[in-house]
Amino acid sequence: MDLITSFKISGSGLAAQRAKLDVVTSNLANVSTTRTPEGGPYRKKTIAFAAENVAGNFSSAMNGAVQSVKVDEIREDPNSIKRVYDPAHPDADAKGFVALPDINIMAEMADMIAASRAYEACVTAFDSTKNMVQKTLEMGR
Amino acid sequence: MNELTVGNRGGTSLSIPTEARTRTGTAGGFSDALSNAVAEVNNLHQNADKAVLNVQAGHTDSLHEAIIALEKADISFRTMMTVRNKMIEAYQEIMRMQV
Repeated sequence: MDLITSFKISGSGLAAQRAKLDVVTSNLANVSTTRTPEGGPYRKKTIAFAAENVAGNFSSAMNGAVQSVKVDEIREDPNSIKRVYDPAHPDADAKGFVALPDINIMAEMADMIAASRAYEACVTAFDSTKNMVQKTLEMGR
Repeated sequence: MNELTVGNRGGTSLSIPTEARTRTGTAGGFSDALSNAVAEVNNLHQNADKAVLNVQAGHTDSLHEAIIALEKADISFRTMMTVRNKMIEAYQEIMRMQV
């Protein structure tokens, strides 16, 4: 039983889902940010994952069949800007329109729930691996 | 005793497989295997301690890595204890033998 591999994969899943939650939180926190270091309003960010071969000791049948996950890239959507009429806003242009990030809070919340459920699933997978090992140790007792 | 040696080797390969496999290639005594197993378990515990310390000092934000290190240490320790219990059991069985 190669529990190290199983732990490694669960760990990569936990890290990936945490990164996704970070991105979602960033989108939610900056839902009305109009100023960024790069200039202009905050741009909605999306995260992409990539499968990765687990380095280590695999039997040949498992080689390449089981993969862990890693964060591949966090991309900014350059077009995620909506123009809202708000002349009182300090960043309003001459016509009274403000460029705000076009972030759908409901969609972000749904992403957040998906990320936390996936995180929980990874924890459950980890626990069940551990249970398997403990049951193995109880063998023949 | 031979069976115990085999069981113990299973224990070492559980904690650090690559090293243990090369080591079992050479014919080491049971005490060697046992002290190696204890050393590996100790090593994993020290790793777990370091990971927890790093989390608490704020050097890393990956709490789950620390927990995984702890679980690895826990499992390797349990494996070692199982081997030890088996060994004691066999020893007592031998001591009860009528001569």
